[in-house]
Amino acid sequence: MKSPSYTSSMDSMRKDSFLWGKAPSAFSQTEKKPVETITMQKNNILDDIQKLRLEIENVMSEIHTMESNEENKNIIMSRMFLCGKKKFNMDPMKGIQYLLDNDLLDETPEAVAEFLYKEDGLNKTAIGIFLGEREEFYLQILKAFVDLHEFSDLNLVQALRQFLWSFRLPGEAQKIDRMMEAFAQRYCICNTGVFQSTDSCYILSFAIIMLNTSLHNPNVKEKTTLERFISMNRGINHGGDLPSDLLTKLYESIRSEPFKIPEDDGNDLTHTFFNPDREGWLLKEGGRVKTWKRRWFILTDSCLYYFQYTTDKEPKGIIPLENLSIRDVDDPHKQFCFELFLPHSNGQKIKACKTDPDGKVVVGKHNEYKIKASSAEERDDWVQAIRSCITKDPFYDLVSARKKKIINNNNKKNNSECSK
Amino acid sequence: MGLFFSSIFSRFIHKKEMRLLMVGLDAAGKTTVLYKLKLGEVVTTIPTIGFNVETVEYKNISFTVWDVGGQNVIRPLWRHYYQNTMGLIFVVDSSDRERIQEAALELQMMLEDDGLRDAVVLVLANKQDLPTAMPVHEMTEKLRMHAMKGRDWYIQSTCATNGTGLYEGLDWLSNQLSKR
Repeated sequence: MKSPSYTSSMDSMRKDSFLWGKAPSAFSQTEKKPVETITMQKNNILDDIQKLRLEIENVMSEIHTMESNEENKNIIMSRMFLCGKKKFNMDPMKGIQYLLDNDLLDETPEAVAEFLYKEDGLNKTAIGIFLGEREEFYLQILKAFVDLHEFSDLNLVQALRQFLWSFRLPGEAQKIDRMMEAFAQRYCICNTGVFQSTDSCYILSFAIIMLNTSLHNPNVKEKTTLERFISMNRGINHGGDLPSDLLTKLYESIRSEPFKIPEDDGNDLTHTFFNPDREGWLLKEGGRVKTWKRRWFILTDSCLYYFQYTTDKEPKGIIPLENLSIRDVDDPHKQFCFELFLPHSNGQKIKACKTDPDGKVVVGKHNEYKIKASSAEERDDWVQAIRSCITKDPFYDLVSARKKKIINNNNKKNNSECSK
Repeated sequence: MGLFFSSIFSRFIHKKEMRLLMVGLDAAGKTTVLYKLKLGEVVTTIPTIGFNVETVEYKNISFTVWDVGGQNVIRPLWRHYYQNTMGLIFVVDSSDRERIQEAALELQMMLEDDGLRDAVVLVLANKQDLPTAMPVHEMTEKLRMHAMKGRDWYIQSTCATNGTGLYEGLDWLSNQLSKR
């Protein structure tokens, strides 16, 4: 570990020994030499220690930034994953595509199936839509999804109940057909010997869905009787009949208890408001009636939502932030205010919606939203958070420029026609 | 006399009913047709797991429409629902030239069924808004409609997404019903 600084410290050492030479010394000539060597060695070591300390500091800070980078990356990844789930609930195909594109999900039928089966907070109707597609990749996912179920030692209706709880069965006959075929294959693997072939199991499963529709859908006037159900399934077991006591048992089970609609926890808006960018109490000025009301605001997904109470499931109002601008406003009467407005609006209302007292969702009536925080600091935090959420759709400017042009042209035309 | 009045009365009170099956290949637009017809009605029914079945009230007739379909092995199951079925609504994607033959075959197979011997057939040549859509006369030819002997049929061009043509189709069906 020799470095240029080492030689420079040697120089200073020589200077010191020169000084010592002049001063009266307690050491004899013979004693001086080893002392000098020791001092030199000591300084060398101190030097090395200093260098090592610096190096450790460097490494430590490097590790630290690496850790926080890793942490940041994890935060970003989990945010993107959450965003993918929300997208999935709105449009399942787009949601999965987003997760695949961002490497948040492996592009294998097994990985996608596991995501659909195990992930919390997914809308079960969306899962049903996704599994109902007929392209090859989707069919493989459907198969992998069914394979994650365990049907051993369950009768057919019990197994169907379990299966139909994991997603919302779509109502299209062809989709039901594919799903029942996949289900029957799995059922027969889990329960060998119950049916002569998977086809018999598939036909009976399909017949059970028809039965559930007929007995429990109020739109069906003529209800299927047990006799009819038995005669419908005549000859489906490879030309032979299934035992009538089995069919009776299945019929009775469906008659007394319809298939349950799976709980749509993904539909619950609380998922939308989970992990928001910012939330808190603010005062909001009314659109038409200029009164100030206290509202709980949540900022997430480039939207500002406000609620009457923090426990409300549904927001009172939604303000999409796209193409809006934000600025501080200082009213002598109302301090710490900011407002959301449309740049070059020409009196246009901001696109937003609210729930009126009757529970109807109506279009917002605001030209601008004036909102008040309780301190300057709080206001600055909100303004900064909102500003970073405002997305800009470049298309919007293009369209509004076009609109203006057309309006101008029409005005000109009208004017010239008038002058004729 | 009393009997006469009561029969007149019952004609006003009782809605006529018409059971219909709706068939067509995947993605032909069956679900859109079904729910477009329901649009504007207050839906109070509790959702049920199973096939799409809807009742549509139109011109004092209650149409009950079942979404029907699936592979050949399960066709015998539907046969039990064919009985008392007065009509078949066959939905075709007019822009899907690749599968028009498949659709023609499907229609033919349905109509060969004994249970549908007396059923009238309304073909909805759907997705007419798409630029590649085949016109109605071409659809008639491709689906070999003229080869159907002794059957009442009608082909209506539709765009289910905005509802164009759907009520014209129901009009034809209700006329058929009143003829019987």
